[in-house]
Amino acid sequence: MIHFALFGAGRIGRMHAENLARRSDAKLLYVVDTKPAAAKALAVPLGARQADAATVFSDPQVQAVLIASSTGSHAELSIAAARAGKAIFCEKPVDLTMAKTELCIREVERAGVPMFVGFNRRFDPSFRALKARLDAGEIGRLEQVLITNRDPGLPDLRFLRTSGGLYLDFTIHDFDMARWLLGEEPVEVFAWGAVLVDKRVKTVGKDIDSAMLLLRTATGKMCHINNTRRAVYGYDQRIEVLGEKGMLRAENLAPTTVEQFGAAAACADNPWPNFQTRYAAAYAAEVGSFIQSVERREPAEVGPRDGRQVLVLAEAARESSRSGKPVKIKN
Amino acid sequence: MLEIAQFGAGRIGQIHASNIAAMKDVRLRYVVDVNAEAAAKLAARYGAKVAAEREAFADRAVGAVLIASSTDTHARLAIDAARAGKAIFCEKPIDLSLEKVDACLREVKKARVPMFVGFNRRFDPSFRALKSRIDKGAIGAVEQVVITSRDPGLPPLEYLKVSGGQFRDMTIHDFDMARWLLGEEPVEVYAIGEALVDPKLKALGDIDSAMILLRTKSDKLCHINNSRRASYGYDQRIEVLGAKGMLRAGNKTPTTVERADAAAVASDKPLHFFLERYADAYRAELDAFVSALRRKQKMPVGAEDGRQALVLAEAALKSLQTGGPVRVR
Repeated sequence: MIHFALFGAGRIGRMHAENLARRSDAKLLYVVDTKPAAAKALAVPLGARQADAATVFSDPQVQAVLIASSTGSHAELSIAAARAGKAIFCEKPVDLTMAKTELCIREVERAGVPMFVGFNRRFDPSFRALKARLDAGEIGRLEQVLITNRDPGLPDLRFLRTSGGLYLDFTIHDFDMARWLLGEEPVEVFAWGAVLVDKRVKTVGKDIDSAMLLLRTATGKMCHINNTRRAVYGYDQRIEVLGEKGMLRAENLAPTTVEQFGAAAACADNPWPNFQTRYAAAYAAEVGSFIQSVERREPAEVGPRDGRQVLVLAEAARESSRSGKPVKIKN
Repeated sequence: MLEIAQFGAGRIGQIHASNIAAMKDVRLRYVVDVNAEAAAKLAARYGAKVAAEREAFADRAVGAVLIASSTDTHARLAIDAARAGKAIFCEKPIDLSLEKVDACLREVKKARVPMFVGFNRRFDPSFRALKSRIDKGAIGAVEQVVITSRDPGLPPLEYLKVSGGQFRDMTIHDFDMARWLLGEEPVEVYAIGEALVDPKLKALGDIDSAMILLRTKSDKLCHINNSRRASYGYDQRIEVLGAKGMLRAGNKTPTTVERADAAAVASDKPLHFFLERYADAYRAELDAFVSALRRKQKMPVGAEDGRQALVLAEAALKSLQTGGPVRVR
């Protein structure tokens, strides 16, 4: 039984809290939020209490913290948790800057506490099965990876300005998938960004809304990522890997499998509309993986160094998009 | 009655000849091939005559030539046909060198004969339906195009040596699809490629696997992925994302039978290779050629399209060699 304190009572924090509540090997003790009322509203029905950070870090009962607060606070809270000897589950990204990410890694490694970074997609049952079958050699040596990642709709334009930009905020998930599936580090990144969905993404958000990327590894494996902030048909999440002996694909999931055949067309459900629904199983599984690693004193399946590596790729993509040239990665 | 002289009695020539034979008011008059035996066999099957090049060009009854001979003869035959005033159906590519393509285009233009270049994929019923739905606005403005184009297996090394390399030989089809689907010219190309299937290709200066990005002036994006060996068959898919939705065309299979057993649910692999996968497309492209001739309309895929696809292939090759994106004029 691992005792948790949750930081962040927003949308993603609520989801994690509810996942913890469903588990028999976890107990949520505290919820911390800059808005105490929100923390209380989430904590009380789940049998937990609202608290401040100092209380959480000084309570020896708290074994693990789950950091789901705003991105800017992740590194700071992780460092404080490390110093207090707590195991850390941190939402992605660790930080938008390399300096703070590296500082965090140093502090966490010095304290010797386990730290898990929430790249939830690795825990999606379909993607996980695909990876396991890839590792089992079903398609032989891997050659190409294609990742489709499209959001259903534009976020708030003001959010974009503080998001770190498409590559750091959004493509970061794909960089993690790419590293995971390729099984080796990309050595070069090429990215083309575009504003195709809404001109205000550029004028107000100072960002881009569409991108295509190519990654290359030292042994010549290739990976393509395509992104948009707006796919009107839903949250489009697909993976395809080509190997010498075949191909593995994981398609979109939909709420139901019902198909309607009419005079005009045959229709099926749209993909799940958003990440909460699409990756519900993944969010539940990732916290399970974290708990297991803490209990068994094993390294976290996705650690802060993974969090750092995707930031390297995201920064390279941003640089490539800016310069129009491929960017080499030093590993 | 349109009388056709066909050059080339090989694999693709046989497909075209059988399609000509099935058409109304079109007749295969001559078969020309350096391999006399192959020419005789094909001519006999469809009631045509074996002829020498000169004879075919000199015969005023011949209204059109169909060039399906080896790539290195395409431009020369197209030029001779143009000078003889024949309409031209030419298999892709016109030539592997841009210089020879341009020389060919000049002669064709001078002679004012219609020329069709055999980018068969534009005539695949599914790809054609997808394109017509884009054009009708079914998904609004096009933003992204993803083209998957994988051969079932490596061709013989002897073929690869004279193929012009993967981009000119294989990806050329995808460059044509990209231009067609994007609806505007790519202005920049970036390509990465490797010999992942067979490292021996490196010694030939060729590759067997590639990923390419194209960008148009208005920032529409396109990705092409290629492999010379997809063990599960000829993988030919298209996906187009627009402001109002996505259109996809998947692989075709010989049958729709699925078997569910204790281990898995299994269905047919994609049709094995281009002759099977694009059988409908080869028929339809010939129809389109003949129909444009009869109605004196512009060819739906012309010599200029053949040239532009080669320009993109050369840009991709340059990108591969320099390691950076290449601008296209």
